Amino acid sequence: MASGKKQTQQLARQFFKLSIVDGTLSADRVAGVLQYIEKHRPPRALAVLKAYQRLVAAEFARGQAVVEHAGAVSPSVLAGIAAAMTKKYQRPVASVARPAPALLAGLRVRVGDDVYESSVAGQLATLARSV
Amino acid sequence: MTLPLFLAAAVEHAAKPGIPERFGLEPKYIVMQVISFLIVLFVLYKFGIKPVTATMEERTRKISAGIRYAEEMQAKLAAAQQESATIVKKANVEATRIVDDARKTSKDFLDKQTQEATVKSADLLAKAQQAIELEHKKMLADARSEIARLVVTTTERVLAKKLSDADRAAYNEAAGRELTHV
Repeated sequence: MASGKKQTQQLARQFFKLSIVDGTLSADRVAGVLQYIEKHRPPRALAVLKAYQRLVAAEFARGQAVVEHAGAVSPSVLAGIAAAMTKKYQRPVASVARPAPALLAGLRVRVGDDVYESSVAGQLATLARSV
Repeated sequence: MTLPLFLAAAVEHAAKPGIPERFGLEPKYIVMQVISFLIVLFVLYKFGIKPVTATMEERTRKISAGIRYAEEMQAKLAAAQQESATIVKKANVEATRIVDDARKTSKDFLDKQTQEATVKSADLLAKAQQAIELEHKKMLADARSEIARLVVTTTERVLAKKLSDADRAAYNEAAGRELTHV
């Protein structure tokens, strides 16, 4: 059982490596991998697909900076954040705006598991924790 | 002069009849009486004096034994009284010592109990004070947290109403500049 799970993970990692071109996730390669899986149906195909999806989603999240904001945010700010994250992580990171009125004002940037925040709600939460 | 007198008296005396003749004593009777007396004496001694003497000696021996026994008993009684007096005295001394020991032990126990009670009461008092202090601190912390929560909630509501789009945009610009320097 454990051996089968390990093989599934290894196969998913191999598919994931094949999906990376020049350090970035290639949509064509991902489509090719999916076609291959659909056509050849490897053992435990569903589990392999789930593991592959997790890896792709994680990689996709690593290459995407989700900018949550309350109020309007200018494209220049989004571009600046994308450039800063690209520089910080040494890989292409695109910024995606997502409204979050709960922040009251300010921004919260998520890149993978990392979170950067400069918002009124965050400062109020920090104040409440410190009191 | 005296001698003739004696001679004359002797002649006169010899001329007179003797006492046995005057009293009619006969030697054969005397002998028979002596023999009779001896027989009587023997019979008396055999059946009278000797048993009486033996009985008296037995009684004398018994009395002596009784007296000796009484004297021994008296001596033993005296010894027993002395021994009992010694035992009583010793018992009194022992009882006094036991009572003293008991008093001392009770006093020590009382002192120890008092000391332990004092320590326990002090410990309980300290723990109670600590508990009160902790409770007080917890109450203050809870009050502080509740006040902070109320302040934050109120501030959030006020800011949600009062912040204009321009204010938010300006804040976002500042936040963007800040986040580009992380």
